[in-house]
Amino acid sequence: MQESQLEGGAVTQRRVTVDATLFASDDPVRLAAGRCDGCATVVFPSQDSCPRCSHRPLAAHVLATAGTVWTWTRQEFAPKPPFRVSRDGWAPKALGYVDLGDVLVEGWLVPSARAWRIGDRVHLTTVPAWTDERGVVHTFAFEFDAEAPA
Amino acid sequence: MSDRANHVYVVGAGLTRFGRHDDVADLDLAADAVRQALGDAHIAWPDVDFAVGGTNGETKPDNLPTYLGLTGLPFVTVRNGCATGAVAMLTAASALRTGVGDIAVAVGYDNHARGAFNSSPARYGIADWYGETGMMVTTQYFAMKARRYLFDHDISEETLGRVSAKAFANAADNPLAWRRDPLTVEQVMAADMVNPPLTRYMFCAPDAGAAALVLARGDRAFDLCESPVRLAAVSLRGRRFGSFEVFSPWLTPGDHLSPSVDASAAAFAAAGVAPGDVQVAQLQDTDSGAEIIHMGETGLCAHGAQEKLLADGFTEVGGALPINTDGGLLGNGEPVGASGLRQVHEVVRQLQGRALGRQVLNRPQIGFTHVYGAPGISACSVLVRD
Repeated sequence: MQESQLEGGAVTQRRVTVDATLFASDDPVRLAAGRCDGCATVVFPSQDSCPRCSHRPLAAHVLATAGTVWTWTRQEFAPKPPFRVSRDGWAPKALGYVDLGDVLVEGWLVPSARAWRIGDRVHLTTVPAWTDERGVVHTFAFEFDAEAPA
Repeated sequence: MSDRANHVYVVGAGLTRFGRHDDVADLDLAADAVRQALGDAHIAWPDVDFAVGGTNGETKPDNLPTYLGLTGLPFVTVRNGCATGAVAMLTAASALRTGVGDIAVAVGYDNHARGAFNSSPARYGIADWYGETGMMVTTQYFAMKARRYLFDHDISEETLGRVSAKAFANAADNPLAWRRDPLTVEQVMAADMVNPPLTRYMFCAPDAGAAALVLARGDRAFDLCESPVRLAAVSLRGRRFGSFEVFSPWLTPGDHLSPSVDASAAAFAAAGVAPGDVQVAQLQDTDSGAEIIHMGETGLCAHGAQEKLLADGFTEVGGALPINTDGGLLGNGEPVGASGLRQVHEVVRQLQGRALGRQVLNRPQIGFTHVYGAPGISACSVLVRD
């Protein structure tokens, strides 16, 4: 992953993610899911056993990076803890469930201010979530795909 | 009525004012509701054979006998989120049918702090990142579920406003309701957006209150009460795979069947009543979208029919199927443990012709209640005045 420079320019730290188990790879970014060999159910993040048929364990499965918005809303006020506010303070954020084919994944939608519509095409990306002693902590998000045919 | 012996009836109902009770201890609130229910049934606490109590807070319901009388009765505690009150009633009714005695009390109460619930990921078995990135927020879920339902069934956002306006109109006439200022559809729609398409007046808020019922079995019910209301059925169901529940980092594609569908179908089947027979109903209206969704999921109307039904006043007190006649959760707030029993209290009073607020005319005989909540649980009841 790319390196990010912190404020002041004196310290450069490696970019880290909110939870390494969510990611199959960092560059290019891919999400790590689980897939049931018994009933083909896909879960994200992966878990020990299948919630549909109880089969265990689940196989590692990399999710598609493009999909469509299945539903969405906008978080107009700052959530309470355990939410961690970014260094830049709070600004409203759009979020939704994105249909990736074999699973719908909940995530932030960028740009936040867009008048989102169900069916909008998006692709996987990462965005800064907060900054801590490890550096700028990134999470996954889905970005509006202006290039794709509607 | 030869089969009376097998039936359980509501013979008393008690309710505190809903709203803020900052200076009242939780167990005092609960004891108040129980005393009112006992008074309604003209009995005293030592007459009670079995009790069930529930709260989402930190107090112990089974310590209530310290307030009401240490008679040695068995007291079961339940804790099932938004379904707590309904589960208390179900447990009490089931116990009466197994022969623990003739009279049982079910009580639910809560006294929540201000503001939306603050949920911990660990309690739901979810990793920290979900909460840390700001997705552990119940109102987001309600908004996204409502938006998809409106989209799938071609329902306008104005219908969300109609649900809230109806709730506050009903609450305005209910002396025990919390939010009693009427609002127009336009005022509801123009209010601050919390999570679009839901404005601040489209959400219920946690508050305080208690509700209690006295249940009696068989002929004893008719000795105690002029107009006993038969608990024709009460059914509890959990979620099946694929339902769309709060705090879900992912969903499976395809249909998202709700436990409300299963619980309502089971209750109607057990009662031998069709959804079309219902004359007064209480639905979980955590937000105005939820009432619309639950009208369809419980079979009270076809999916997509809500737009016209709400516009035509079908679910108002003067309509063909009045829903949430006491203001529902939108008008009363949600003390989680009490909410399900408040619903039953209201339907019982409506069937008896003793509503605190707006009374449904033409002497309704068949009522229905529905609760739904995390982590995907629903309980429904059918109540009948024979």
